[in-house]
Amino acid sequence: MALIEIKHLSFSYPHESSLALTDVSLDVEQGDFALLCGQSGCGKSTLLRHLKTALVPYGRHGGETRFDGRLIAEISQREQSERIGFVSQSPENQTVTDKVWHELAFGLESLGLDKATIRRRVAEMASFFGIQSWYHKSVLELSGGQKQILNLAAVMVMQPDLLILDEPSSQLDPIAAAEFFATLSKINDELGCTILLTEQRLEDVLPLVDMVHVMEAGRLLASATPAKIGKRLLLQNSSMLEALPTPMRVALALEAPDICPVTVRDGRQWLERRQAAVEKGNSSWLLADQEKSGVAVASAGMTTASTVVVPPTAAATATGKLALPTATAVAVSPATKTNPAPAPVVLSMKNAWFRYKKEGVDILQGLSLELIQGELLALVGGNGSGKSTALSVLAGLRRPYRGKVLMDGTRLGKNQQSVMNVAPGTAADTAVKPQAGGLILLPQDPQTLFIQSTVRADLMDMLHHPHSSQAAAAIEAIATRVDIADLLDRHPYDLSGGEQQRAALAKVLLAQPRILLLDEPTKGLDARRKQEFGALLDELRQDGLSVLMVSHDVEFCALFADRCALLFDGDIVSEGTARSFFADNSFYTTAANRMARKLVKGAVVAEDIIGHFNERRSCEKADAA
Amino acid sequence: MRGAFASTHPIVEISFFIFMVLITVLFRHPVLLGISFILALAYAIRLSGLKALLLTFAIMVPMMIGALLINVLFNHRGATMLFYLPDGNPFTLESLAFGAASSLMIGAVVLWFACYMKIMTSDKFLYLFSRIIPALSLVISMALRLVPRYLAQIRKIAEAQAAIGRGINSGNVLQRARHGLTILSVMVTWSLENGVETADSMYARGYGLPKRTAYSLFKFEYRDGLMLTAMAYLAVITIAGIALGVVQVTFFPLFSINPMGILPALFYLVFLLAAALPLIIDGYEALIWHSLKSSI
Repeated sequence: MALIEIKHLSFSYPHESSLALTDVSLDVEQGDFALLCGQSGCGKSTLLRHLKTALVPYGRHGGETRFDGRLIAEISQREQSERIGFVSQSPENQTVTDKVWHELAFGLESLGLDKATIRRRVAEMASFFGIQSWYHKSVLELSGGQKQILNLAAVMVMQPDLLILDEPSSQLDPIAAAEFFATLSKINDELGCTILLTEQRLEDVLPLVDMVHVMEAGRLLASATPAKIGKRLLLQNSSMLEALPTPMRVALALEAPDICPVTVRDGRQWLERRQAAVEKGNSSWLLADQEKSGVAVASAGMTTASTVVVPPTAAATATGKLALPTATAVAVSPATKTNPAPAPVVLSMKNAWFRYKKEGVDILQGLSLELIQGELLALVGGNGSGKSTALSVLAGLRRPYRGKVLMDGTRLGKNQQSVMNVAPGTAADTAVKPQAGGLILLPQDPQTLFIQSTVRADLMDMLHHPHSSQAAAAIEAIATRVDIADLLDRHPYDLSGGEQQRAALAKVLLAQPRILLLDEPTKGLDARRKQEFGALLDELRQDGLSVLMVSHDVEFCALFADRCALLFDGDIVSEGTARSFFADNSFYTTAANRMARKLVKGAVVAEDIIGHFNERRSCEKADAA
Repeated sequence: MRGAFASTHPIVEISFFIFMVLITVLFRHPVLLGISFILALAYAIRLSGLKALLLTFAIMVPMMIGALLINVLFNHRGATMLFYLPDGNPFTLESLAFGAASSLMIGAVVLWFACYMKIMTSDKFLYLFSRIIPALSLVISMALRLVPRYLAQIRKIAEAQAAIGRGINSGNVLQRARHGLTILSVMVTWSLENGVETADSMYARGYGLPKRTAYSLFKFEYRDGLMLTAMAYLAVITIAGIALGVVQVTFFPLFSINPMGILPALFYLVFLLAAALPLIIDGYEALIWHSLKSSI
């Protein structure tokens, strides 16, 4: 029997005419590890919240939700607390108490268990999660990844049958996220706990889960195993195709098999087998492969596979005017690289040394870098490599104790007030074109930029004559440009993560900067939003904006950056055009490169591989003709 | 080096400090004060080392001298005049004795508090507090978590605002004040917004169900009971000695102290044992470690 049965669930928020959930029916079997995915705003969080009475949002409901055969609403609060665990996005907000041991005990205290029982359960979970070494620590001392593991452990001490997680890794860096998913997998394997998870990082989770449920605009679009979900999405022409892991996208674009390779390893093997078969002229390799896996072969589709368009391109052009076709973006980048016109250096850092305390360790150790007019430079590197510090030094928020930061060849003053002092009074008077101003930093958490009660007021706050007609025009112009025109009168905190980011971008762009510094701009964004954001950056750069970005997101950098630099131990260890940078790295590189390195030289993104094989196919056809 | 006494149950520790400070403050008996002062000093040195105590001394010694001087210079009660001060007021033996006793008392109390700070960490204090008002312990624990978080967020917002030229350090005084106030007002919104998720997390983990218990890391062991009993005996005997007048002192109008004898000496010994309890326990443990090591 299924542990969760959702039947014809519909839901709408109060004062909203459209349904947030429309007739969703979904089962999760006992012991399954199930993934619920979809773009932000597709209703997956709303669906998750229907699985626990304490979290169900207000609104009109239809249909029913059953847990272990009983209606959720009929299960007592106590039983729900014990048997259904819930972990949400923010590692910070979920932690209630100040000490690790107290956080672990919190749920058990609520249940009113005696001291000896709490002690035993906490001890068991602390051992299972490897928390012993920081059991006595204050929560403040933990890293984001540790906090999220703690939140998970604090739920697992209640020994739930079902664990619900709402994008638990969105605030984590890739390494912490991978560790978190490994822990989830362990919980599922070793404790038999049923897990229902929503997540954006499909590349990481798809190899781990048993079932994938894809939602789109409040409806359940498809349910299948990870290997089979690709074909289902392709047949439905879903926009989720672009979020799929690289191996799946490559396979879908080349052959559209029923069973797609999910991991990089599978993808490489799949490509190699395909290559060998094609060389032998044996076109039935795919059929044999699928029969071996015991799957019925879809007779159609196979022959038409070669004509299937590259999915991300199709999807990206289909929706959203901001979304540039991915393939075009790839094509643009090499063009700018092959023609190294002597563009001026707008921002540079020369041999900078920095540490936070006099007796502290050096965070920047003789770091030098240059930002060229109009380019997008991506600074990548692991945690604690000094990326964010480098950014705040470049922004003039901190001063290096040795070395210097130059803007247009002149030294930045202490606490350089960025653009605001550069063009006083004129910010609203000129058209919104990033030319006049100086340098501006968009912080990692866009929320920290908002200090007013509407987006419009926040934008007005950036202008010197906020009530003039020019100001209103400038705000309208920038809002249209970053696609937040209909959000202007909302409270900034009510926007979704992607919307907040665009509003924050609008706010800093109003200052008309020439140099934009970005700190982890793609954190927590779904695949679609990333594409849109990258396209928007491309557009702004054509107007002369230079962008320096600090990022963990290798795939995004490969797609949109002109140059990449790897920061390690306070200094840049390798640097190059995005393409050569990722093609030369062996580990710190894109999935596409790791998958097809041997077959396709210099492949960095999925489209490179697809393009390579499609080209060959058309050549062979031409030869045959 | 915190030693074995620091690992006893907080109830034992707090009882000890309360007993010592009360005896020291309430009965200014020179011998008891001397015992209290010397053992407080010895234990403080054992806990923090002589070097770390220098700062404590720098505050304590002037206070002790001050107490002594104020008494002999401005307190002219007492029958035994020794000589006239330059201002014509009498300098009495009684005020000298009282001043010395006060000074010793202040020194002893400061030293006991220095030990208290080392032993009673915030979580022990919190535990004792929550025994008195259980519901408050969660509130305090949450506050201890939230305050540093708020400060960190204020810092983050201030920095983000500074990066767009809206920092608390830019503009004239009025503008700075305005920027500061806007940050504070947005913090209210921020805390409410984020509080929702914290509340969800609490309810999801069963907060609000009846009969909540309070977990703590402290175990009340057999040795804790043993020590509490021993301390109770020593305290009762000491207080009995004072109550019976075997150990007694009067300063004014005439300084008099109980004569030395076997009976008072026994009571002194009992108080000495009580004051030395932490040192005895620490020493006993050190001895065991030593013998364990030498037997390997």
